[in-house]
Amino acid sequence: MKAVKIGMPLFMIIIASVFLISSFAIPKANLGNPNGPLYFPIGLSIFMLVLSIIYLFNELKTLHEHNGKIQVLFEGRTLKLIAVTIALGVIYAFIFEPFGFLISTIIFLGCLLFYVNGWKKWKVNIIVTVSFSFITWYGFSELLGVSLP
Amino acid sequence: MDAFLQGFQIVLQPMNIFWVVIGGFLGTIVGMLPGLGPATAVAVLIPITFGMDPTSAIILMAAIYYGAMYGGSRSSILLNTPGDGSAIAATFDGYPMAQKGQAGEAMAISAVASFIGGVLAVFGFIFLAKPLANFALKFGPSEYFLLMLLTLSAIVSLSIGKMVKGFIAMALGLLISTIGIDPQTGVHRFTMDIPHLSEGIEFLIVIIGVYAVGEVFYNFLTIDKVKKEKKKVGRIWFTKEQWKRSKWPILRSAPLGFIVGVLPGAGGSIASMMSYSSEKQLSKKPEEFGEGAVEGLAAPESSNNAASVGAMIPLLTMGIPGSGTTAVMLGALIMLGVRPGPLLFENDPGMVWALINSMFIGNIALVIINILLVGLLVKILDTPAKVLYPLIIMLAFIGTYTLSYSTVDYFLLLLFGVIGLFMKIMDFPIAPLVLAIIVGGDMEQNFRMALTSSNGSLSIFFSSGISITLIVLTVLSLFYPIVINKFKKKSRNDDKEAISA
Repeated sequence: MKAVKIGMPLFMIIIASVFLISSFAIPKANLGNPNGPLYFPIGLSIFMLVLSIIYLFNELKTLHEHNGKIQVLFEGRTLKLIAVTIALGVIYAFIFEPFGFLISTIIFLGCLLFYVNGWKKWKVNIIVTVSFSFITWYGFSELLGVSLP
Repeated sequence: MDAFLQGFQIVLQPMNIFWVVIGGFLGTIVGMLPGLGPATAVAVLIPITFGMDPTSAIILMAAIYYGAMYGGSRSSILLNTPGDGSAIAATFDGYPMAQKGQAGEAMAISAVASFIGGVLAVFGFIFLAKPLANFALKFGPSEYFLLMLLTLSAIVSLSIGKMVKGFIAMALGLLISTIGIDPQTGVHRFTMDIPHLSEGIEFLIVIIGVYAVGEVFYNFLTIDKVKKEKKKVGRIWFTKEQWKRSKWPILRSAPLGFIVGVLPGAGGSIASMMSYSSEKQLSKKPEEFGEGAVEGLAAPESSNNAASVGAMIPLLTMGIPGSGTTAVMLGALIMLGVRPGPLLFENDPGMVWALINSMFIGNIALVIINILLVGLLVKILDTPAKVLYPLIIMLAFIGTYTLSYSTVDYFLLLLFGVIGLFMKIMDFPIAPLVLAIIVGGDMEQNFRMALTSSNGSLSIFFSSGISITLIVLTVLSLFYPIVINKFKKKSRNDDKEAISA
């Protein structure tokens, strides 16, 4: 729990530092003020860096305080649910175009539903997967004229 | 007057009436699902607007918005779980009413209060929108920059107790908005030589990621613990006595909510809490508040719907979204090629007045939907979260694909979903991030244009009465939480002294 409490401000500090360092690598402009594109990102990076350091100190002061939400994150299958959803999302990204909308969506939604809703409810999972994949395809492709692979 | 009638003609086209009803219905459904508010409703349903003409699209989005405001209170009343912040006040007395077996009466009075609040606010919109648009025509780049700064600082300052986090979220959003080709000079910024990033990060992907995927991830925290309560709805109309107690609170709360909605940063949550506390103070029976007092439900419901209409004024007249939901709508409008601002009233009065008039029809449709279809809506609430959340994730992916026809954006969607999850866990306000991403580009360009026109002198930001007023308001908005905290501490100390005396 403490790692997450400290991790968030550290992550913000890293983001701000990366933006600050990268800001100095922005090429000078040929039009108008050569430094014009730099001012805003540099100012914002410094602003965010200072605030993130304050945030870090605030978190250090309250490190012992309990945060129920962080605790719940590590309880039960919450982390697994999030990780599996992300993994399935990545697979979906790779199969979406080669397999086409209907097949890839049935695979993605089906796997996600079976994992989240459980194998015991296989009938509901299959009906929902097939019907919603088809309804979504019909709605977007046929009614709204959105081109889908 | 011509534009008003032209707007009516447009909205009375059967297809537009259809979109108003569909938008209101879908918004109600998404808004009533626990954990999903109007911003998520609009974000998830944005893809429906693709391929539509902009007028129908804006009518549909507005209907989704106030539909979700209606829907938010359904789950507050039945499950004690508000759809979003503005529906929290509905749990105070709505849920106790449901526990007493008055769920149907509570839902009827909340629907009617929302209807009256929404309709009264539309009248306010009619009278205020055009003068405000004319006033906004006086704004130059420096005034626009300061107005955006005020909006952002007001949004951050409302996150009392977590202002540092609010400012970090804002700074992160502004930094994300700088990614891509600088429109003034053509210089690539933070693109890491990835061609996909040269156009910048599409803000709708961030919005769908944070609001839809992030919300679902966050709801995964409790997905195995949620136990659905089955409620008996009872009779779906209120008694004469309940109406007598509610009518004045409804009428008082509508203008209050409307004004709060117009203010940058403030929104439905503030409006509903303000009207709840003011009605409690005005009540002859304040002890009944929290125990199922019907006026404690009616007042905030009227107020938050009026606020949702009020929030459309700065959005349409100045292109300034005052809340997370209107920020999402602005993003969608820009994508549809509509640039909200004072000139929208000059260039496309038909669209603006069609939208305004659609709100009348939308509110009528919603009150009918929310009363006649209450049985169906309650059944939808019984949909298991374990089925619902995978569907929302799937819709988020499809929505993202239809934005750019590229699956590369799926990775960004997941990344912002995770960012949204951790922001929620660590109590970061999300609205400043979203708002900053949307207004960030314009804010920087206006800032630089103002400086260019003054040869780099910062005095341009103090050169007009409007600018100075905006600066004063920005400073006041930053000090507001400090004053509120001090005031709270002082009143606590006074209480202690009074007790010890």
